[in-house]
Amino acid sequence: MHGDHGAMLRHGRIGAAVLFVFALAFGWMGSRIEYAFSSDPLGPRTFPVALAIVLAVLAALNFLRPGRNEGWPRGATLVGAVALPALVCATGLLFEPAGFLVAIFVLTTGASRAFGASWPRSIGAGIAHAIGWYVLFGVLLEVQLPAGDLFKSLLKR
Amino acid sequence: MNLDYLWTGFAVALTPTNLLIGFVGAFLGTLIGALPAIGPINGIALLLPIAYTMGLPPESTMILLAGIYCGAEYGGRISSILLNVPGDAGAVMTALDGNPLAKQGRAGEALAISGLASFFGGTVGTIGLALFAPALAALAIGFGPAEYFVLMVFAFATLGSMVGSDPVKTLIGCTLGLMLATVGLDPTSGAYRFTFDEPELGDGIEFVVLVIGLFSISEAINILEHQSKGGEIIKVLGRSLARLEDISKCVWTVVRSSVIGFVVGVLPGTGASVASAIAYMTEKRINDRDGTFGKGDVRGLAAPEAANNATAAGAFVPMLTLGVPGSGTTAVMLGALMLYNIQPGPQLLTERPEIVGGLVASMFIGNLILLALNLPLVKIFARVLTLPNWILVPSILVLSVVGVYSTHSSVLSILLMLGIGVAGWMLRKLDFEMAPIILGFVLGKVMEVNLRNALAISGGDLAILWSSTISQVLWVMAIGIAVLPWFLARRMKRLRAIEAKAEAADLPED
Amino acid sequence: MPIFTRKTKMLTCAMVLFGATTAFAAPEKTECLAGAKPGGGFDLTCRLAANSLLATKAIPVPMQVTYMEGGVGAVAYNHVISKRADDASLITAASSGSALLIAQGKFGKYDASAVRWLAGLGADYGVLVVAANSPIKSLKDLVAAYSKTPNDFPIGGGGAVGSQDWMKAALMAKAAGQAPKSMRYVALEGGGAVVTALEGGHIKIASGDAAEMVAHHTAGKIRILAVMSKERLPGVLKDVPTAKEQGIDVDWTVWRGFYVGPNVSDADYAWWSKTFEKLSTTPEFIAEREARGLFPFTTIGKAFDDRVKADVARFKALAAEAGL
Repeated sequence: MHGDHGAMLRHGRIGAAVLFVFALAFGWMGSRIEYAFSSDPLGPRTFPVALAIVLAVLAALNFLRPGRNEGWPRGATLVGAVALPALVCATGLLFEPAGFLVAIFVLTTGASRAFGASWPRSIGAGIAHAIGWYVLFGVLLEVQLPAGDLFKSLLKR
Repeated sequence: MNLDYLWTGFAVALTPTNLLIGFVGAFLGTLIGALPAIGPINGIALLLPIAYTMGLPPESTMILLAGIYCGAEYGGRISSILLNVPGDAGAVMTALDGNPLAKQGRAGEALAISGLASFFGGTVGTIGLALFAPALAALAIGFGPAEYFVLMVFAFATLGSMVGSDPVKTLIGCTLGLMLATVGLDPTSGAYRFTFDEPELGDGIEFVVLVIGLFSISEAINILEHQSKGGEIIKVLGRSLARLEDISKCVWTVVRSSVIGFVVGVLPGTGASVASAIAYMTEKRINDRDGTFGKGDVRGLAAPEAANNATAAGAFVPMLTLGVPGSGTTAVMLGALMLYNIQPGPQLLTERPEIVGGLVASMFIGNLILLALNLPLVKIFARVLTLPNWILVPSILVLSVVGVYSTHSSVLSILLMLGIGVAGWMLRKLDFEMAPIILGFVLGKVMEVNLRNALAISGGDLAILWSSTISQVLWVMAIGIAVLPWFLARRMKRLRAIEAKAEAADLPED
Repeated sequence: MPIFTRKTKMLTCAMVLFGATTAFAAPEKTECLAGAKPGGGFDLTCRLAANSLLATKAIPVPMQVTYMEGGVGAVAYNHVISKRADDASLITAASSGSALLIAQGKFGKYDASAVRWLAGLGADYGVLVVAANSPIKSLKDLVAAYSKTPNDFPIGGGGAVGSQDWMKAALMAKAAGQAPKSMRYVALEGGGAVVTALEGGHIKIASGDAAEMVAHHTAGKIRILAVMSKERLPGVLKDVPTAKEQGIDVDWTVWRGFYVGPNVSDADYAWWSKTFEKLSTTPEFIAEREARGLFPFTTIGKAFDDRVKADVARFKALAAEAGL
């Protein structure tokens, strides 16, 4: 742990620097919000710009004393930590074109696999998830779920 | 105070049909609350037309809807505690101490304690509704933009309790939350802020999207990381009854939080999320001497649960007395009354006592039903935790995706949730906490809008912020809560010094 | 009495059924999209159609009402145009507020010709309101007082700057010779919040719609100074003079209606138009409309399309004039 001290400081400082840049971007955008007029004296820009200044100051303080942090994952853990968001992203992109069933199948199969289930098990779980959740949300609770444009166009033909 | 209407109400609510309807409502409500995808508003909107077409009389419909409404506040805690995924807006704070308790293998106890706290909060709220509704209507009217702004100042003063080992990080979290709250249409100028020409961002970042992103997505990545590091996630459920010592520890917490929840619920401009946040932070401010809050303190669990259930009852006060809904859900219920050609307002109590009475009585009975329904089910709910991660985490992800998609039927929401989740995970790695972000978000919106509305009224004169009695009282309370812990700490120090002296004096004799 | 109504009901059912079968077949299932949370104005509009269409048996199965919150209907508008442009089973609720937002370019890149405007089924009218204990008794008094000391009158409304409520207040300010820009306008969350703010004395004038204010008016909590309609409104508001009667020629009609996607066929559009035309005279529909506090406003098909486009043009001019 002691050997990691330098790395920990570096990690913390990178985080603080990112926050600082975010604050600058936010403040710049905030100062350029377009509006005709405002019925109060502060207007829509004051609050965002003030917050950006506060965040910039806090990020600078944090840069000087980054405090504790866990450090970034490496190797297999990193792959997992990237794979899971990528999976959710893919689900989001598939959701409307491919429909609820396919998207959820992809999401749950992939996630089960990421959490160590074997392929056959993951696929089985994926099928069960897709159908089970569809029955709960789509049929019983009548939540609006996309059927999938792909299927719709196939059906029409 | 004439309570005849209440007895009429009990007579209405206790008929077998209405009891059954109340039971159905409570059960459905718990389910709806536990699932992050649908909240009480959607649940009620879903069932209202069914109740109407079934030809239920208005009092039965109100009993059904009240059951759902109260049930949802009970249900929200389940997924907060077990999965660290808040089931609804009022249950965000519940996750802060509830989930650590579950991770310590005390999930059953946590569910039981929060169930009891919910019952107490709900009952206190309902008593308040029955006894003080007309008097409180005046309070709700007294709150203008200036008063709401000072209320938020008070809330931020309690936030001082969240400053943990690293105050800078807590403040950064809070500022990030405030920044996220500025996204969307700015009402006082009609300008769109940070919306990038996306109509879906016009109303700002949806609370569900923020909460699910910060909690469940970052939690899922976290679980994966710890699993592959070989870290074991505890799968012990523990006992399913609350310990007596824990209950006695929570008594005053629950009393205070119920009152806070009820009063905040009465104000039309604030809801369960604000109430539970203020209750939690107040308790932390008063009680957290050993830094146990946020690490599985039963008082940190009981406070928001008592508060959010009391809020549910408080929100009926402006609806029944002023005809003005106190929350989104009561707005839908107001619509329900109007379907039956009933106009809520001060005259409702005299003209249709069976409706007001039936509603209040059914909330008493509903809370009893919910307690009876929830305590035996603790064991079954907690069993969720024994599922292996490869089943549990994909389920969390499905709930997250569906929950977020259903807000706008839009994929953008899913991607936004993902972005927030990944950012939240990185912040967690850097030892930031998620709660200050949520608090900044919840409080910031109300704060900015009301400050600017107040200044619009006064034409820029700051004196409006402390001109009314209500705001003066709130300023005093804010200052009080800010200095109270400092005062308590000094007294504790003195007491400890005396104790130490006494012990030192005792030692030789021992 | 009951026998009579049942008979008329059956008669109208038969008429509607007959009419429907002679025109085009009804879509198998129908859906109404409300671009807001349940319980709001769009929901009310959808329920008006859903309940009365079912009650008159114009559709065999209940119409499903779905919700898509965002940007006061902007998200729904974009959704219909981009994803469900040819879906003939879908109608989407709209109001004059939608036209106002379109006029201000707040519905994204699309203008009013991006959809097919189908029918307006009911209307509400703008009102200006003061607290019951206010010394102001009429719109005339208000305009006179406002022209002298505008800063004594903070105005509240249920929408942002540029919204319908703001516009109504701006028309009053203009009549008093004051610039709309300098109004002390407070944007509150909906009509309920406006009434409490008025009662609490936080604001002195409120701008809103007749339907949401009428109950508070009859309960004696607030006073409606003027209705912004061409003629006096029937019912409990028959004693409230119009703005025009009080020498200020402004009207603000808040119509509620529907549009369908741009690629919906003429045949389907005609089916909907015909169905709504028949519906609009049935007692079931009239009862449903009145239960929602809406006044007659039946404008269907081309006439409605023209109306919406004319409104958009008018709102564009008003917004420019107000300095938005």
